[in-house]
Amino acid sequence: MSHGRLERFLIKFGDVRGREARAALSFSAYFFLVTFTFYIIKPIKESFLIGFARPGWWPYADLATALLIGFVVALNARLLNRMPRRTYLTASLLFFVAGLFAFWYVFDVFQTQAITTPVIDPSGIVFFLWTQVFIIKSWPLAVFAFSFWTDVFIAMSVTQFWIAVNDVFDPHQAKRLVGLFVTGGLFGGIAGSAVAALATFARILRPEDLLLVAPVLLALALISVNVVYAGQRQVDAAVGDGRISAPARVGLWESFRAVRSSRYLVLLAAMLTSAVVAGSLIGYQFRTVVRNAIQNPAQQTSFIAALFMGILIVSTVFHLITTRRVLQSYGIRWAIVIAPAFLIAGSLAVLLIPAGLILFWACAIRGADKTFDNTISQSVRELLYIPVPADVKYKGKIFIDMFVSKFATGLGAALFLALYGLRNFAYRDDQTLASALVIARETGYVALFFMALWLVLTRLVYREYPAILKKDIRRKWQEGQEALDANVDIDLTLKIFNTIQSRERSTTLYYMNIFNLVRHRNLAPELKELLGIKRDELKARAMDALFDVGGGGFFPGLEETIADAEFQNEIDLIFLLPSYQEIMGKRLGEIVGSASEVDRIEAANSISRMVPTEPTLEALGRLLQDPSSEVVLYALGSASVHRRPEHVPLILLLLANPVARDEAQRTLAAYGPGVEDLLAAALREETEPLDVRRAVPEVLARIGTQRAADILLETLALRRDDLEPALVDALYKIRADRPGVRFRERSVRPELLSLARKACDAALNPSGSGDEARAALTIRIKRVFDLMTLLYPREDVVNAYQNLIQGTARSADYSLESLDILLDRDLKGLLWPLIEDLPAEERDLRLKRAMRLK
Amino acid sequence: MVIKIREADKVVIFDVEGEIRRSDIPQTTLHSLVEAQLDRGRRKVLVNLRGVDFIDSFGVGQILASYTSTQNLGGKFKLCGISQKLLLIFQITMLHKVLEIHEDCDRALESFG
Repeated sequence: MSHGRLERFLIKFGDVRGREARAALSFSAYFFLVTFTFYIIKPIKESFLIGFARPGWWPYADLATALLIGFVVALNARLLNRMPRRTYLTASLLFFVAGLFAFWYVFDVFQTQAITTPVIDPSGIVFFLWTQVFIIKSWPLAVFAFSFWTDVFIAMSVTQFWIAVNDVFDPHQAKRLVGLFVTGGLFGGIAGSAVAALATFARILRPEDLLLVAPVLLALALISVNVVYAGQRQVDAAVGDGRISAPARVGLWESFRAVRSSRYLVLLAAMLTSAVVAGSLIGYQFRTVVRNAIQNPAQQTSFIAALFMGILIVSTVFHLITTRRVLQSYGIRWAIVIAPAFLIAGSLAVLLIPAGLILFWACAIRGADKTFDNTISQSVRELLYIPVPADVKYKGKIFIDMFVSKFATGLGAALFLALYGLRNFAYRDDQTLASALVIARETGYVALFFMALWLVLTRLVYREYPAILKKDIRRKWQEGQEALDANVDIDLTLKIFNTIQSRERSTTLYYMNIFNLVRHRNLAPELKELLGIKRDELKARAMDALFDVGGGGFFPGLEETIADAEFQNEIDLIFLLPSYQEIMGKRLGEIVGSASEVDRIEAANSISRMVPTEPTLEALGRLLQDPSSEVVLYALGSASVHRRPEHVPLILLLLANPVARDEAQRTLAAYGPGVEDLLAAALREETEPLDVRRAVPEVLARIGTQRAADILLETLALRRDDLEPALVDALYKIRADRPGVRFRERSVRPELLSLARKACDAALNPSGSGDEARAALTIRIKRVFDLMTLLYPREDVVNAYQNLIQGTARSADYSLESLDILLDRDLKGLLWPLIEDLPAEERDLRLKRAMRLK
Repeated sequence: MVIKIREADKVVIFDVEGEIRRSDIPQTTLHSLVEAQLDRGRRKVLVNLRGVDFIDSFGVGQILASYTSTQNLGGKFKLCGISQKLLLIFQITMLHKVLEIHEDCDRALESFG
């Protein structure tokens, strides 16, 4: 089957894409075959326990597994350490195949009660005789051994399967594909239980003979897993991704320490423990009810087998309809609580129902527990492991899945045994429905406690999940403004450049600038050197343009003099002198009209230190309209000092001038909160030049108040395409610089969805050449992310965006996963087709669907 | 000031000649030219200042705005051919901590990888 046809077929069961189709199919086949085998073996285990062990012994089988599983975990960890992953999986499957033959031999010997007479190999005579006699003499032991072996087989096979999934797929892939794998598993379960039921019901095979069918299935599973690893090696060689990591070298103690050292894994283990204990107690409730409701052992077996089939079919239907949708629409956040919440409600029902409904209740609660366990709970549990770092995951997952889960089963058994003894169930159980109801209720109280604990732990685990996920999403680059803010004093830098330039124009202007610089800053020696502040070159002609007095050196040592407080006070006093103000008022008027650009620049600069009298401010107004951009620059500097409202319209006009724009924005921002409403009016006034309106948001961003943010958002709601980039940039800056500013979701969300819709539209209907259209779309998507920072944690949004743009395949998938947790359903619906790696045809389809839905 | 734009190895090179100062600005500024290239999807920008004698605060503002716009989109912005005098000012004002400055433009081009 070609890749395309295979993908189209598999997409019916899961979200399969491109080259992952073959690996996904192999994994599904692998899981199908493994669960096929389980459900052939499981009924044999159950029927042998029921048939050959007393009911009071059943919990001991669980306890034995719980106690012995630690040794298996240790052995398994050692094997994982020493073998390449592919070899390890192959060897494990071969080991279980050998086990199947061995148990078939044991059961066959017992059932036939015949001791085979060895005739060929004399050296084997004693061994065969001894083992065959031993099997018959110690018969129930073999049943318990088989029960333990079955539990080990199931636990190890499932763990190994998910380890292989983690090897080959990244979190986002796994999340898409987990539904397909679970589907494979469910079909395997149905097939296995159907084969077991039919073969034994029709007496085609004895139960133990089914053990000879299982090796065939495991041999096929062996082929599937080898196909996966062989294919993955080729892919890795091609892309150089190195997806399959070296196996973690760990022992049991180290596995335990890995879990203990991670709060997340401890919570996961606790969550699994509470879920398994609750499930185990439900199991004992169920067995008690079935035993009391159905007296005939043969009917019990057929009833349980039929229910088993029913549960698997319901699980399959539920899984196909629900699991994928719940995960995609509501994410792990809600999927994780479905099982405990539903089971709590179901368990509470036992307190209300009459005895006549107890069998129905027991089947429903047992069915629900198993259905969730087979479907959504299993999917969620595996997804929760995915963001754990690979080295910790291998250690922790083995310990939790194999040791903790069996320990929890043992704990459930111990609790039931304790209840059995403490509450005298043996004496109170008269094998009626009424006594079954009492036992079910009393066991239910303990089960409810563990279900409630499970529910609480789901919230705690989910709270930790994003943090674990984010460890793999690191910043790819520092944003421009952040880098500048961290390293450069931009205001000082610009002043230095202006000062250096002013030396060429006029000595007066140069010293004015130095005076301003030194007065407000402690300049580094290198900078003083650069600016030429040296004793031997001091020949200042201060204020010569204003006073027209010619030149004359009067500073003996400029840096010391300017830094001297008394000197600075003297200068200030001169500016405050009424006579100075009177003279300067007249003189400024003349200078403003002067033909000399230098004179006007010096005047514009000096006004910043003058008392704001009417003539001074009038002169400043005229200088703000000066044709020389240099004059305007200094006039803007002075305007930012005096901050007079009558100058605002003049400064607003300068926003249209690219040469003066930045300084005009700086000046308006210096006015502070008082100017916001004037800016809002300019921003919304249709008759204002577009360049002015586009420059206003930056000013509001620099002011950065709540009012400024509200104005920007209100204007964005007008949906003006020509203002949109500037508005979004400004809002993004406010979010970055002013964490205290609040943005109401009901105001931001419609704009966010509108931007996302526009991006979808641009993706569907590109304008211009391919490269240009792609670039335009990239910028539109960036804008959506920028606006997202108003509603969601900025760091998370920025990191996710950067990794989607420039991250590795893995970090991009982690980013998608983190956004999946963060964003709401509507936004995801629009954003996902834009940012997911999809074939063009599929992307267009999803975009159209998203546009239709919204 | 004259700005010529060329492209080499997917790097957009702006060859600037003259003085980047407020009083000598043509209709389009350096920043607007860089933004136009970013809008076209270009993400590697090199500004060749070999022909530049002087930069005033406006010129520095243009360079910093161009750097910020490029950087925000995950691009790379570099300078080359900068005079010793300008380099000294850039060093003292700490701009060299932010801007990647290369003496030789060919090396700068290679450094984009």
